[in-house]
Amino acid sequence: MLNDLEKKRYSRQIRLFGEDGQAKLKKAGAFIAGAGGLGSVISIYMAAAGFGKIRIVDCDSVELSNLNRQVLHWSDDVGRSKARSAKDTLEGINPEIEVEALEETISKENIDQLLSGCSLIMDAMDNFSTRYILNKAALQKKIPLFHGAICGYQGQATTVIPGKTACLRCTFPRAPPVTTFPALGSTCGVIGSIQVTEAVKYVLGFGGLLENRLMLWDGLSCSMDEVACMRNPGCQDCSALIGDANYKQEMSK
Amino acid sequence: MLVKVMAFASFREILGRERELELKAGSTVGDLLDVLASTNRRFKEAAFEEPGQLREWVLLMINKKRIDPFQDLGAELHEGDEIAILPPVAGG
Ligand SMILES: [Zn+2]
Repeated sequence: MLNDLEKKRYSRQIRLFGEDGQAKLKKAGAFIAGAGGLGSVISIYMAAAGFGKIRIVDCDSVELSNLNRQVLHWSDDVGRSKARSAKDTLEGINPEIEVEALEETISKENIDQLLSGCSLIMDAMDNFSTRYILNKAALQKKIPLFHGAICGYQGQATTVIPGKTACLRCTFPRAPPVTTFPALGSTCGVIGSIQVTEAVKYVLGFGGLLENRLMLWDGLSCSMDEVACMRNPGCQDCSALIGDANYKQEMSK
Repeated sequence: MLVKVMAFASFREILGRERELELKAGSTVGDLLDVLASTNRRFKEAAFEEPGQLREWVLLMINKKRIDPFQDLGAELHEGDEIAILPPVAGG
């Protein structure tokens, strides 16, 4: 499954979860929605860890004001498409994996096609209207959605497992307004790293996930809290797409 | 009766991490929010659309159970209840 170079490259991880575990990562395809602050951290760590296929999508070009946090893109990349810049950086980090970078705006119309062949959705968006599209797609395809969001020193993360946990809409029924949010790169580092750790555990099938738990990070006081999330029976997204009865079955198992 | 209010994210900068509040017996979640708003102008501006109307995206939980800011503000509180209040963050 792994060639000699891969065995060497991933040797410190193989100490953690064995060649079998590494082979599971190699087989996994991750869809990363956004190549901004969170998308940078998520894609860099997923590429380095050896997720076999990464598809990263962003419609923007690199701006100078992105560089404080979007570590995928460097000063020379200003003006280039984020997708192309992301592809160069990720392939430079790990040529053993397959990187697809698409210059697209995620929509209800194209999400199915964008997700084809991917079994993990990494939320690196900057708005809830697109997050709700990712949530519905995760429910429809029954694949996990690893949610993360940041603002300034603060961040949040939770893991949505369709058929098992509250969905993103259960936890956040209504979107906060779109604003030009303040952003610190290291906050993206904290939250994006949590999302990748969740995806690694999910693929390997061990550890405790952020299931029905919303983790809240406050960098200003350096504290982490969590609040419980609960499925909303009658939720407009997961009730419609999976059905309340299926959740009851899951819970009584 | 004494209840505990826990604030998160930007609401924590305004309200502090947690505080105990003495309320009249029979007070509701809505009453609690009114007390917080009338004693803290920054909270009122951050959490309310207009007087008495919470911003629709504010997340509220009583004893870790989420409640709907549109439907459940009349829910009665009890001694020792823990109320969590937070705004979602949305950036990436
Ligand atoms: Zn739901």
